[in-house]
Amino acid sequence: MKTYKISIWLMVSLVAVMLAMPVSSGAEVYKLGLSLAITGPTSDAGNPYAKGVEDYFRYVNDMKLLGKDTIDCTIRDDKYETAITKRNFEEYLDMGIVFYLNYSTGSTLGLKRDFEEVKMPVIPASFHAGNLEESNYIFLPIASYSAQAIGLAEYVVKNHNGKTPKVALFVHPSAFGRGPVDDVKKSVAAGLGMEIVEVVEHGKDLDNTAMLQRFKSKGVQYVISQTVQSPVAVMLNDASRLGLVAKTFGEKGKITFLGCHYTGGNDLIALAGDAAENFYWTTSYIITSEPGVGTDAQLALAKRYGRDDKAANSHNYANGVMVAQVAAEVIKRAKTRGKEVTKETLYEELLAMNGMNAFYPVTTVGPVTYSKDDHQGVDTLQLYAVDKGQFKSVGTPFIPEYTGKIK
Amino acid sequence: MSVNRWLATGNYFTTYKEEQRIFYTSLDRIFCVFFLTTLFIWPFFMELDSKDMLVIDNILVAVIAILGLNLVTGFAGLISVGHAAFVGVGAYTVACLSRIIGDQHVLITHAWPLMIMFSGFVGAIFGGIVGLPALRLKHLYLVMATLSFQMIFEWTIGFMDFFNQGQTIFVGRVFWFTGQVGRKEHYLFWYYALLVVVVLCGFAVRNLLRTRYGRCLVAVRDNDRAADAMGMHPGFTKVYAFALAGFFAGIAGAMHAYLYRGVGMESFTLHESIQYLAMTIVGGLGSLTGSFFGPAAIKILDLQVENLAEWAVTFLPSGMNLATALRPLSFGLVIVLFLIFEPRGIANWWRILRSYVKLWPFRY
Repeated sequence: MKTYKISIWLMVSLVAVMLAMPVSSGAEVYKLGLSLAITGPTSDAGNPYAKGVEDYFRYVNDMKLLGKDTIDCTIRDDKYETAITKRNFEEYLDMGIVFYLNYSTGSTLGLKRDFEEVKMPVIPASFHAGNLEESNYIFLPIASYSAQAIGLAEYVVKNHNGKTPKVALFVHPSAFGRGPVDDVKKSVAAGLGMEIVEVVEHGKDLDNTAMLQRFKSKGVQYVISQTVQSPVAVMLNDASRLGLVAKTFGEKGKITFLGCHYTGGNDLIALAGDAAENFYWTTSYIITSEPGVGTDAQLALAKRYGRDDKAANSHNYANGVMVAQVAAEVIKRAKTRGKEVTKETLYEELLAMNGMNAFYPVTTVGPVTYSKDDHQGVDTLQLYAVDKGQFKSVGTPFIPEYTGKIK
Repeated sequence: MSVNRWLATGNYFTTYKEEQRIFYTSLDRIFCVFFLTTLFIWPFFMELDSKDMLVIDNILVAVIAILGLNLVTGFAGLISVGHAAFVGVGAYTVACLSRIIGDQHVLITHAWPLMIMFSGFVGAIFGGIVGLPALRLKHLYLVMATLSFQMIFEWTIGFMDFFNQGQTIFVGRVFWFTGQVGRKEHYLFWYYALLVVVVLCGFAVRNLLRTRYGRCLVAVRDNDRAADAMGMHPGFTKVYAFALAGFFAGIAGAMHAYLYRGVGMESFTLHESIQYLAMTIVGGLGSLTGSFFGPAAIKILDLQVENLAEWAVTFLPSGMNLATALRPLSFGLVIVLFLIFEPRGIANWWRILRSYVKLWPFRY
């Protein structure tokens, strides 16, 4: 009887031990981290961005795009505060991440040295060219704000009728906004035929009447904006009220408004309404008001994971999907080459992403290319303009000429 | 006074000197030594993640800043809503020197204790200057003066190229006797550095309050005319209260700069000033122990609300944006609740607890 009882206990213990043992299936889990503003300032962009990243990684895991291996991307809210971003990054390092996705310009610049020290490949949502200075591990997903502003300036010069166009720059009072100013000035010095009449760093004004009247009196014909949507919407509404918005590009006596990636999109139309008509906007992303293979995929992904229309149609959702695509692609390539997936091998794969190895995500208007000297992913830009309440393509994708000339 | 100080169930002072002791009872002294020993030795037995160490370091930085704010607002009764700017002055002192002489210069990397002290003195100078309006202004008007300093500070940093227009200015890694403090031991190293500074500052404040200068602060707060009539100089007292607050803030700022290895504008905004004020209120205005409880309570609350907001955002529609509101909402609510139900702050709970323990098991 005693022997029987011991046997029972041994059996139970064995079963318990077996249940407690981890299941070894040979599948790897690759840890990634994303810190961004889901709440607080700029969360209108951060929210769909986070959803894009989350959805694409879920898709990779659900569709087994990495075989048995999966991606575990922890997403933390940093409320647009560098101190919190730093804390999140430290937490991710403790978790053993192999790839990091960051968000704001301030935190990317602030953590630059940390990225260098730990040799962590990073893709931020900030396209500030300054991120790449004295940095080896930061990779911009698309053309920098400088390239975007120069691209818009080139478009103005090429399509302006009459004497030298007079341009004002309307920028955010931060490195994010100020970044392109010097590069546009350098382009003008290098021969880009336009006159920069004024550079305005906007505050939190709810009325831009005085500024617009000043622009008018100085003969400003174009305003290139590098900021977020809300100040642009305020400016457009005021310009519309004053009857200053050009109905066609470069209309005489009026002002044509243009802007870089974070100034445009559906949120701008929602904020500015009719005043957004004929607003020119550039980005490297495809947008859902111009249907195609990429937008179909984007909408299908959003639908698959139950996202609302607002998120599904946001260019920042595409933005998030694209960086997740790049991260998943380098993991896939490292695996294909039989390498162990580490931050070092993923860094190598990023550097090798050029020429025949360029990556073509369907979410952008051009290929993603990186090399030792080129940390700017998609070099191609597309110009869009608001037509009857929707952004529509203007011309074909282009690469600004002066970005090369001012290097 | 009780014959056996270990069994004292109350404090019976027979001389003024006794009343001014740092520790009232031997039990207090033993408890303090035990507590400090624990703070110094726990990292040998328990290893925390870098993230958690950073949170603890952050609390200690805030404690140093609050020791200063409590002097000016709690003990001297002069409300300052520009304290983050004073902390910023300290941080930017290190950052500016780092920008001028290079962040790898021996002064930045080796002479960091000197730099921290120097930042404290710069903070004190700015504190003294900002305190000058206190000679003529009181109450709401003085609040406006300190608010102006906060605004001027933000504008100056945000728009001047020299300060990198508010973007991060890097500060190099420091050296200790064992060599450069590497990434792995960075937060632990600064934990000990901060702890030493917190202890020194804590004893400095406790000692100050035992001197005539410390008593002047309280006298001026309670009735500056009466203090004047008794031979004190209210104007001088107010200015040096601001200077002292600036000194502590400057030290906190410099340590913040070294801890984060860089200085950016975001950490010294008006929002941070309000948060410092909240820490002082929640901890207990005019209480030394409150200066330790306040920062810990607010920072931990902040962290918990952050987690809650993160959790809430996963199921709430983005249009509601309730998660965005959670932080300021809880923050404001805590201040209001403390002002209504416990204006003496957490320090009062500590006092009650101590009284209870002292009398235990007797109820009278």
